[in-house]
This record gives sequence, structure tokens and C-alpha cells, in this order.
Amino acid sequence: MRNILLKELTLSASPLPYLFILFGLMFFVPGYPVLCGAFFVCLGIFQGFQAAREANDIIYSALLPIAKRDVVRGKYAFVLLIEAAALVLMAVVMVLRMTVFAQAPVYLNNALMNANGFALGMACVLFGLFNWIFVGGFFKTAYKFARPFVVYIVVAFTVILIAESLHHVPGLAVLNAFGTDHLAMQMLLLCAGLCCGILMTVLACRKACLRFERIDL
Amino acid sequence: MSIVEVQGLTKSYPAFTLRDVSFGIEEARITGFIGRNGAGKTTTIKAMLNLLHPDSGEVRYFGKPFLGNEAEIKKRIGYSTGTVSWYPRKKLRQIAASGRRFYDTWDEAAYQQYLAMFQLDEEKTPRELSEGMKVKFNLLLALSHRAEVLILDEPTSGLDPFSRSELLEIFTHLKQEGVAVFFSTHIISDIEKCADDILYISHGELVAAASKEAFTERFSEDGESLEETMLRLERGTWHA
Repeated sequence: MRNILLKELTLSASPLPYLFILFGLMFFVPGYPVLCGAFFVCLGIFQGFQAAREANDIIYSALLPIAKRDVVRGKYAFVLLIEAAALVLMAVVMVLRMTVFAQAPVYLNNALMNANGFALGMACVLFGLFNWIFVGGFFKTAYKFARPFVVYIVVAFTVILIAESLHHVPGLAVLNAFGTDHLAMQMLLLCAGLCCGILMTVLACRKACLRFERIDL
Repeated sequence: MSIVEVQGLTKSYPAFTLRDVSFGIEEARITGFIGRNGAGKTTTIKAMLNLLHPDSGEVRYFGKPFLGNEAEIKKRIGYSTGTVSWYPRKKLRQIAASGRRFYDTWDEAAYQQYLAMFQLDEEKTPRELSEGMKVKFNLLLALSHRAEVLILDEPTSGLDPFSRSELLEIFTHLKQEGVAVFFSTHIISDIEKCADDILYISHGELVAAASKEAFTERFSEDGESLEETMLRLERGTWHA
């Protein structure tokens, strides 16, 4: 597993997935739907898949002395690593906004979602959806990725729209907590989002392994 | 016992069917797999490498079924194609560095030896290589992990006559080192020059699997070259 992950990191990946991790910094942007940062991180990974396909990466990997399912696991491991790096960046920004910048007027007058525990949890959900819809969809053929990515765009922006609007619903204002307000609730929402993301990824990876075993390359 | 045994491979597509293909590959011999474009050579090779799933049939390497022993078997075989290059924008050095991690049988001395023999520059990328050099690079990777069987899909396609001749000499050299070389081609003179055994496939069916001498004895008419025999067979005017 270590070898296939190293191969993904050094040979298969283009620079874009690494560069697009920086979109995690969008958690700093006031008056902007911060969850778009998570979407852009996924866009970078998508570009990486495109470059890998042009380099005949999947067939090269399938010929390596590993089980075919490890090709899929290697891709998922790479995707998770990029997403984890972006989540760490987002988490750092979230903590800064919850502490150092808790009283910054630019954030206090923010009509959109705050970069809080709920936002980070929703970023995990967006990553989970990407792993399920796009990565899982790609391994139906190990070739076609336009359709799964278009489906992911539609689903991701629907989820972003809902997440950004929820705190305007009466009784759900807590979702937009500032600073360390409702900290327990924020952490609970973060854990719930993380669990959703992990569950979607694990199920998608298992299914993708089975699909990849069956398809003809 | 053959070190590679292919038994009853069948694969149906809407416009093509590979029918009940069976043959064996012997140690330290060169097997030429010949057939016209679309005859089923690549389909057979992909099935041999588990890149596609036959409707029926089995492939065994070293007496073991491929399925269930995939990782172990892939360590002992090498694959190359003349039509695909991996990671065209990465340096050969990077591709080799990534590949060697997967093989505990990787032989750095052999890598350096073949690198020098094939006159490959590690700082170049596959897109900067000629077709012949691409094949040589794939061979380099296979030989550096001490592959006992080389499965080569159209390695001589697109090569000039000089590079083709050079590659066929390399096959002969590898045979002398005990490697089984299996290569597909539609160029009859390649078979004539270096193959010990001939597999002839036509319209998805294996017409013949025999040593070159037995093949000639069975199919060639008096004074006929192998090329003339193959062309006559392909026109369907042969009789066994």
C-alpha cells in the first residue's frame, strides 16, 4: 500500500491537486460561500485524474505486482491525503477565526456561513460526496470521468446552497455560531460531518474495488 | 510443462469473438504470435494479463492460476507494448525509481547494464523517445526485475527496419539467458527471423500453435517462404 501511494504521489499526480489544497484558505474569505474551497480542492484532484488518464496511469498500475483492488485503494489513499491536507488547512483557519479573529467586524457582519465546526463538518461531507460520486463513478470504467464530475458539481453546489442557507431557518441559527459559542454543538456537527465523509468514502472504495475487478481495461 | 498455459480463452464482443484459444509458452524460447490487425492478438494478451475478463478460460503461470496469485506472478513477468507509453512527461529516472519499489527482485546492476546496452538517457521523458526507444525502455523495466516471461504486444510496430532488427537480436540474447519471449506481430519477417514457435490467429481463432519447423512442414507448399504461406493461409486457401 505504501508503494502504490508513493507511486500516486510522485508519478501519477500532477502539480494541481497539491496547489489546489491552498483553496482551503478560502475559509478566511468573508462574505463568500467558504464551502466552495472544498469544491475547488476536489477540482484540483479531478485535474489530477485527467492528467493521470492521459499518462496511461491506470493500465500501468494494473500491471504492477499488486492486486487490482490495490490500484483503487492507492487512488483513494492519494485523494484522502489531499483532502486531509486541505482539512488541516481549513481547521487552522477555523481556529484562527474562532479565536484571534472572533471579534473582527468583517466576520461579525458576514451574511454567509461562518468558518466554524459546522462548516468544517460540511467540508468533510463534500469530500465524502466527491469520493463517492466522482472517484466511485470513475472506477465504473476507469476511463470516463466527465459524467461523474458533472453529477458531483450539481450535488456539491446543492449541498453548499443548503448548508449556507440553513442558519437562516428559524431555530437553526446555532449552525452559524461565532467564535467559541456553542462549542460543544460545533464539535458535534464537525464529528457528524467527518463520520458521514468517512462512511461515504469507505463504502465507495469497497464498491469501486469490486467494479474495477470486473471491468475490461 | 509450459511456464505459461492458456486454456480455452473465449471473449465475445458485439462485432468480434475470441474463440477457445489455448496454447503454452515454453521457457527460453521465442514465441511469435501472428495475425492480421483485428485478429485477436491484443485481446488474447490483455486476457493473459487480467486486463480484461474472458467469458471463459484460464491462464496459468508457473503452474499457478493467475487469478489468486496475481501479485506474485506479476513480479515474475514483464509486459511491454509498442503502442502505449507510460507517463510521457516524466523522466525515465522517475518512472524507474517508482517502479523498482514494487519488486524485491529488482536488480540494480541489471538495470544499469541494460540502460547502457539500450543507450537510454534517464533524463529524457518518454515523449522525447522514438518508438523503438520506448519499447526498449519498457523492456528495461521488465528485465531489471528479472522477468522470466516477457509478454510483448506489437513491440516492432512502427519501428524502422534497423531498430526492428536490433530488437529481434535482443530477443535472441534474452532467450539465451533463459527468458521466454512472447511477442505479437503482424510482420511475418519478424517471426521468420527469430521465433522458435509460431501461434497463428485468424478471426479470433487459433489456427496453429507449433514450432516454426512443424508449422512450415504442415502448412507450407514446396518452395514457399513463410510469408507466402501466411498470406495464402490468411486468404483462406489453405488445406492442412
